[in-house]
Amino acid sequence: MGDSKLGFTRRRLLKTLGAASVTLAAAQIFGEPNAAGQEPSGLQPAPEFTGPGANPYWTSPGQFATYPQKAPLILLTDRPVQLETPRHYFLSTFTPNDAFFVRWHLQTIPNAVDLKEWRLHVEGNVERPLTLSFPELVARFKSVSVAAVNQCSGNSRSRLQPRVAGGQWGNGAMGNAAWTGVKLREILDAAGVKSGSVQVQFEGLDRGLGPKGFGSNRFLKSLDLTNPVIDECLVAYAMNGEPLPMLNGFPVRLIVPGYFATYYVKSLSWIRVLDTPDDNFWMKAAYRIPDAPRGNTTPEDMKSGKVATVPIARMPVRSFLISPDGSTKIPAGFPLRLRGIAFSGYGGMKKVEVSTDNGANWSEARLGPDEGEYSFRTWSLDWTPKSAGRHPLAVRATDAKGNVQPDEGVWNPGGYLWNKIERQEIVVGDAS
Amino acid sequence: MRNRIWYLAGVTALCILAARVLYADFRAGYYTPAGPETIHQMLPSVASTDSTYDAGQYPIYYPELAPGDGKNDVENNCELCHSPRYIAMQPALPAQAWSDEVNKMRKTFGASIPEETAQKIIQYLGTHYTPETRKR
Repeated sequence: MGDSKLGFTRRRLLKTLGAASVTLAAAQIFGEPNAAGQEPSGLQPAPEFTGPGANPYWTSPGQFATYPQKAPLILLTDRPVQLETPRHYFLSTFTPNDAFFVRWHLQTIPNAVDLKEWRLHVEGNVERPLTLSFPELVARFKSVSVAAVNQCSGNSRSRLQPRVAGGQWGNGAMGNAAWTGVKLREILDAAGVKSGSVQVQFEGLDRGLGPKGFGSNRFLKSLDLTNPVIDECLVAYAMNGEPLPMLNGFPVRLIVPGYFATYYVKSLSWIRVLDTPDDNFWMKAAYRIPDAPRGNTTPEDMKSGKVATVPIARMPVRSFLISPDGSTKIPAGFPLRLRGIAFSGYGGMKKVEVSTDNGANWSEARLGPDEGEYSFRTWSLDWTPKSAGRHPLAVRATDAKGNVQPDEGVWNPGGYLWNKIERQEIVVGDAS
Repeated sequence: MRNRIWYLAGVTALCILAARVLYADFRAGYYTPAGPETIHQMLPSVASTDSTYDAGQYPIYYPELAPGDGKNDVENNCELCHSPRYIAMQPALPAQAWSDEVNKMRKTFGASIPEETAQKIIQYLGTHYTPETRKR
């Protein structure tokens, strides 16, 4: 009796289960699908993005490549080499040497340097020309350190509208290092600058295949001897306490705190005092900005030929949100710590403000350790998103001189001086 | 009694099954083939103890330029001073901008490209690398 009843019950149970399964399957197919029940999508490589719109990514959407003494970086070009630093490296005040961006102008760049042969030449309009070996340079002059941001003039060039030719950097053509070396002024004093001198010119070991006298043959940069920045310049032999990577200018590099990286001549080997202004291509034609507020102009005004230009110099104030970077969905109610960096070529940071509502309201962030007026300054702000949604975050910095980041882009034919307020959308999901 | 046990066990199993489907709180176990491309880890280099500081050779990553008339002229002229990545990296530019670039290379940078060849290069870039024509 028990058995037959059991059999009946089993059959009924199986039928019930079967019906339930069909119902459940139907519910899965036709009903409101639960997000966690869907098949996850795979990773997709970032598509090559060539515009003509502005590059929407934080960095250039290029591929990663590995170079000597370097972590995998974003490849812009391979000859001459241009490599961009990925975003996450900017969480810290100092950018690691192996992640530091790379930008050379000419194709024949040093692979190796023999320090037995290498000399730093100080020549031109001086009383006592010098040829300093590496140990002489280190021993003869006082060792000085400075934290300074090295930012390519064309950092963020891929944001410009209309787009301009040149290295299509996102935001990663910058880095901050503790540079250790000797004062340029001490070297100049040792050589004795003759009266009537106007500029000092810098040349590295890089060479181009273009004809002599052209910018494609030599890369040369100069600074006015009356420029107060001369007293702040270093000839650096250490970067974050280590020898410079070859691609960042081994054995020594010129450091011009506050200035764009075009003046940070790599593998510096000639310091030349000039009695006439430098009219070489890299001063007279390249790296020039419109002599206008923010270096801003229009393609039409450029074509008209009435835009006067001056050599690029100090870096305008900028700030970045580094984390979160938008790649992680944040649960509503999650206590976030927004983190980033700020800097200015005009001296230290006064404040960094963050908006979680696309610029309607601003909250002042907490500034991190002060490593000097030309360093990255980290900042952070705690923020708990209350509700699900796409939250447009914005960050703006004010430097010690009172310069505030604008909410407008800039346009000039070189693609220089971009410092618009950065935005990052954060996706917050329901958590209950 | 045994019947009731079976019945309860069935209902429990059903409830668990239903809960797993209707109230799934996670998903797991999905993998997808992504091709063989990974980033190589480089062999640590062993330096000599002499006075030479050597980083070794720098790698070249040759991009694929658009096929077409003038590609050879690009390869034989432009690539003397820079790799074709300098072309591939640029945003899509109007034909006039490419013409300006080629003339800048000749006049400002002193590239010795004959007029006829320069026109073929300008034609090639203005055909394949404009906002209207650029493939990728």
